[in-house]
Amino acid sequence: MIKTIKLKDAVGTKLAHDITEIRPGEFKGAAFHKGHTLCNEDLCQLQKLGKNHLYLIDLEKDEIHENEAAAIMAKALAGKGVVWKNEPREGKIGLKAGINGLLTINVAALAAFNMIEEVMCATLHNHTLVKTGELVAATRAIPLVMKRAPIERAAAIAGQTGGVVSVLPIRQRKTGLIITGNEVYQGLIEDRFAPILTRKLTDLNCEVDCISFAPDDTEIIRQAICSHIDRGCDLILLSGGMSVDPDDVTREGIILAGADEIYYGAAALPGAMFLVAYIGKVPLIGVPACGLHHRTTVLDLVLPRILAGEKIGKKELAFLGHGGLCQDCPECTYPHCSFGKGS
Amino acid sequence: MQDFDTLLKNSSAAHGHLCSGQVVGVRMAMLGCRLISLDEPTRIDQIKKLIVYVEMDRCTGDAVAFVTGVKLGRRSLKFMDYGIMAATFVNLETNTAFRVISTEEARDLATVYAPEVPEKYPQQIEAYKRMPDSVLFRVQKVRVHMSEYDLPGPTRRKVACSRCAQVVRDNREVVQNGHILCKPCAQGAYFSEAEEINWPNMNWTPV
Repeated sequence: MIKTIKLKDAVGTKLAHDITEIRPGEFKGAAFHKGHTLCNEDLCQLQKLGKNHLYLIDLEKDEIHENEAAAIMAKALAGKGVVWKNEPREGKIGLKAGINGLLTINVAALAAFNMIEEVMCATLHNHTLVKTGELVAATRAIPLVMKRAPIERAAAIAGQTGGVVSVLPIRQRKTGLIITGNEVYQGLIEDRFAPILTRKLTDLNCEVDCISFAPDDTEIIRQAICSHIDRGCDLILLSGGMSVDPDDVTREGIILAGADEIYYGAAALPGAMFLVAYIGKVPLIGVPACGLHHRTTVLDLVLPRILAGEKIGKKELAFLGHGGLCQDCPECTYPHCSFGKGS
Repeated sequence: MQDFDTLLKNSSAAHGHLCSGQVVGVRMAMLGCRLISLDEPTRIDQIKKLIVYVEMDRCTGDAVAFVTGVKLGRRSLKFMDYGIMAATFVNLETNTAFRVISTEEARDLATVYAPEVPEKYPQQIEAYKRMPDSVLFRVQKVRVHMSEYDLPGPTRRKVACSRCAQVVRDNREVVQNGHILCKPCAQGAYFSEAEEINWPNMNWTPV
């Protein structure tokens, strides 16, 4: 139960919640914290903050204070790789990355959680690369005092699959590159793919174990793939030969090598002719030629997910469509743009 | 209790079609029975412990009745015409009751739980299978006040309407100015202009 008292009568009482002060451009935060015992000197500042009345709270048995609610929800929302402290600020608790890795959001559970009255959680986009200590989500109860049952139901929804917000570690892989194309194999032009792919991998703390070159010949491509697997590679990137010309035979080479699953085509531009295949548990990624010309492509969306252990199939490549259109800006600002943020 | 898929298949067959209401109803009944600790509600030793109040006459109501085995004629199924997607499960032995309410937000969440299914109704069916109980339902612990005249078993009281002579069972009569009346005579009925008739082949018998 909440009771309202006049400010002049509040001396000696304890604040029921943080009192927020906002000085535009300078400060936003708690001017007074929950539990602070008011004295005469505080009244003037509180009046400046527009407070003429304060709440006194006497919780009923089935009621809960916003701070306790926030802690219950934070505990349920936080999955693997996410940390939080039970130190609510203005009723909010922030969830932070406990490790470097890939942020994964259970979007359905998040939506269901937010459909419960009087609770909220906001997160960064699903599949964002984050660093240790980075704020990835925040939650709060909306009113100062609410019924306990909806909070516990929201927590049950959030905790159903081990939390809504998780950070998965980027696992190091022994990676092999296969650069295909007669023009490179025969030395007619210089390869530019290997340095680009190597940089993208090393940016994700993944070392390239070996690089091989193959002409547009399905059998030689097959041999190169098998050779990499025999060396113990557990991730193989193949560049070129992913398009529709008669010389584009990389896909056939992957099939010949014994791919159990093959998914060709992604709902993203650049990168429509992207390919993901699996030989046993080893993922093979077919990078189309756009990878040479665009700083950011579908590879940047999918590679971190594969390194984080996600199985990529038809559905995952199809769901890239919403937000999968790169605006091809003169100066690329990815990941600070909409590319890849809809899935 | 059978598994969800079997219950849904059989309930849909009994109902006439598979729809989202069937999915919700089967799950509502499974949850309700779990809450009142009846794991085989249609088995003879449990069937007499169960009363279900259904608050809607929609597909969901049929599924709840199918899974639990409650029936109007057995007085284990009570229809409360509230137009609310909810049912209350009462264990007469333990005197516990839980009202399970289908959430409205589940409809809005179908798109996120089954985004790969484009059409509305198939999407709802798939999504309602995937949602956890906590998303699909709210639950209230309730107390149900049951008159002895509402319980299963033999008719406990019969009286005749003082106006039309119709026999009224189970204390459903109305007393007005000291006169016992049936509800149609006392309060009006869902029908009007009742007129006794004769009909063709009125002496037909099945045997």
